[in-house]
Amino acid sequence: MSFAVQMNGITKRFGSVEALTNVDLGVEKGTIHALIGENGAGKTTLMNVLYGRFPATEGTFTVDGQELRFKNSAEAIRAGIGMVSQHYAIIPELSCLQNLILGAEPSWTLSLTQLKKRATELAQRMGFSFDWDAEAATLSPAAAQKLEILKLLWREARIMILDEPTAMLSPQDSDALFASLRELAAQGATVIVVTHRLPEVLEHCIRATVLRGGKKVGDIEVKDANPAILAEMIVGHAVAAPSERHHAANAPLLEVKNLVAKDYRGFPTLDGVSFEVRAGEVLGLAGVDGSGQRELFATLMGAQKPESGSVSFEGRDIARLTTRQRLAMGIAWVPEDRHEEAIVEGWSLIDNAALGAQDRPPFARGPWALAEPRREAAQAMAEQFSTKHGGLDRPIADLSGGNQQRFVNGRALAGHPKLLLAFQPARGLDIEATRRFYEALYSACKLGAAALVVSFDLDELLAYCDRIVVANRGKIRNAASKERQEVGRLMVASE
Amino acid sequence: MKARYLILFLLVALLGGFALAGGKYPMAEVVKALASQSVGDARAWSSTLKEMTPLLLCGIGVFAALRAGLFNIGIEGQFMIGALASAVVGVNAPAGPVGALLALGAGCMAGALWAAPAGWIRAYRGGHEVITTIMLNQVAGHLSLDLLKGTFQAPKSSFPTTSDVPESSLLPMILGTPQFSLGLLLGLGLLAGTWVWFKRTVRGFEHEAVGANPKAATLAGVDPKRVLFRSMCMSGAIGGLGGAIQVLAYERRAYEAFSSGYGFDSLGVALLAGGNPLFVAPAALAFGALKAGISGVAAIYETPKGVGLLLLGLTLVVFAALRYRRDALREAA
Repeated sequence: MSFAVQMNGITKRFGSVEALTNVDLGVEKGTIHALIGENGAGKTTLMNVLYGRFPATEGTFTVDGQELRFKNSAEAIRAGIGMVSQHYAIIPELSCLQNLILGAEPSWTLSLTQLKKRATELAQRMGFSFDWDAEAATLSPAAAQKLEILKLLWREARIMILDEPTAMLSPQDSDALFASLRELAAQGATVIVVTHRLPEVLEHCIRATVLRGGKKVGDIEVKDANPAILAEMIVGHAVAAPSERHHAANAPLLEVKNLVAKDYRGFPTLDGVSFEVRAGEVLGLAGVDGSGQRELFATLMGAQKPESGSVSFEGRDIARLTTRQRLAMGIAWVPEDRHEEAIVEGWSLIDNAALGAQDRPPFARGPWALAEPRREAAQAMAEQFSTKHGGLDRPIADLSGGNQQRFVNGRALAGHPKLLLAFQPARGLDIEATRRFYEALYSACKLGAAALVVSFDLDELLAYCDRIVVANRGKIRNAASKERQEVGRLMVASE
Repeated sequence: MKARYLILFLLVALLGGFALAGGKYPMAEVVKALASQSVGDARAWSSTLKEMTPLLLCGIGVFAALRAGLFNIGIEGQFMIGALASAVVGVNAPAGPVGALLALGAGCMAGALWAAPAGWIRAYRGGHEVITTIMLNQVAGHLSLDLLKGTFQAPKSSFPTTSDVPESSLLPMILGTPQFSLGLLLGLGLLAGTWVWFKRTVRGFEHEAVGANPKAATLAGVDPKRVLFRSMCMSGAIGGLGGAIQVLAYERRAYEAFSSGYGFDSLGVALLAGGNPLFVAPAALAFGALKAGISGVAAIYETPKGVGLLLLGLTLVVFAALRYRRDALREAA
């Protein structure tokens, strides 16, 4: 066999912290290789070394048998390596075509017709289609992901690194993505997928390398693996299954009836939505991205006004209440966009801890904001889900995405909310952290709270939620059973 | 941090020196005079503290808006309108402490009202505050000149000026050598209040949240529009108060070209202060010293006013290079 990438004895130190210790990685040419491990296992760091973002402290690597050393990513790109990060590098104000060619313009003068022709050919090879003149802001997450992959192909990458490529995608889009990746692999490209979704490793990858705590645990042929084996390699011990749940059918806590919302163009984004969340239950909202989940959350949080319909919480109509009033009633949320909606990145963990409850005890007494409770709360929030941080008074921007998510989840539960609205709360979390989050949710539910959880990862919802409803093009339906087939059918059904 | 400021000072001195040398002025002497005219003796300190007062007040005003993410270039106009309102009220109100309080209040109110349209347009109509406040500055200049030549002109005066505020309504000096006005003390008190507002009140917390991330603030229950409007009015009120203090502590009246660009200089003061309100005081002091020193030097060597502006400008550019370097490094990491 021939290796497209071989990394030998890679060690990476940041100051006194050793992020990688003597890691080897061999990736065969023309395959899809999975790199798996918990948050902070060093997956992204290892890939950043390969992509030239920073040099390894020790160790060497070869690409197509040649030993290379990159000063920066531009050199890596020239050597045929491309990487799609977790956060897409797409400029929303530019057109799709401009995004595609940015930084890799073929000549000093640009012929739009020619560029479009080449771009279309490239897209067709992958079975994609793009409106090249459309603003990139209009792209769905799945389409943005496709554009990112085309960017790599435009730059003639032969080795593609994808960091958590399906984090934002629906199951259908994920399957489609992997189908494209297989096609690429068949054409001779090499794909490295950083992920912690085991089903996609088992279904689509050939080999997997597992990292834990900056060290390599092992390599495994996927055909010899199963979820239990992989999970144990990742965590280091057998993973407990989610605890058995028994919840009585209680009175509804949140009742949504015939909710209608429209976007600025007047298109209905919520088309007569009705459902209820009962006290004590964890209700999962499944659905392909863009089925109305975002708008439902905006309406429930009071950030968007519905056209019509009612929302009642504990029997009281809250549809006209402000966001502040809803928070004060005991509704808490984990917003979708961590950076933009959940936290103030430049602020410390301490100051972020009070956000959302800044005007209530323990953070406030009358008009006064109290500093000490903020520190204590931040400490507790960080501890609840083991957020790794370099000091509570350091900016939260310094934390990795997964750790920010842990902190935001901890904050949402800290005020003992009666109702938790959580949008992708497990985004960027590994198996163990996800399980811990839901366990915490269960304990809250035991005391009468309830939760509505949106996720694009159907397996997560099936594993952890008591009941599932499905969003599909602005409508919400009850799933008769918690079966994958049934729910999947409702997600994409055209009627 | 402190080393940075030392570097800053040396760089400014060096670059300023070159500028002076280019103009064939005796460089070493001018620099020496610059120091002696700003901090050399009690008289120099008096003029430094005098210059510092409006810069401090307007600096606090700009700072307050800046924390909500607004760039209040209109502070100059709010300062002028505040001064005019306070002079008119001070002249007509009963003389004494009551008159002083009324005049201060009038300055605050007038400044807030002058800023309000810009705040409202920004918050509820999305019009950029830089554009609207610049325009309001123009309006403030022309309107006040018109009023000073007409309705509010002092009787028997041929200049566009109000009458003098009665002696007993003025803010006295609380120190004689160097002269330290009650107005400056008020400014420092306001600064402390601003610190408390931002660090210890819920509203201040929400104000900063809106400035740092309006979306996150919205989902935390804050109404960013209201905060934007309020912070612009607050900034204008402080600017107006600055104008009032300038009248009651130093000028006794409002007149044409009342402000020697204090509002604009205070943009630099707020920028120099960065994120901490308490730094507005040293920044205003530094600017005040430079301004005092420059006019002292101009009197002796007949250097053109441009040289002074040049030095102020250099300070800002060099400072910005030092200060924003950290942000750039963070971005790159």
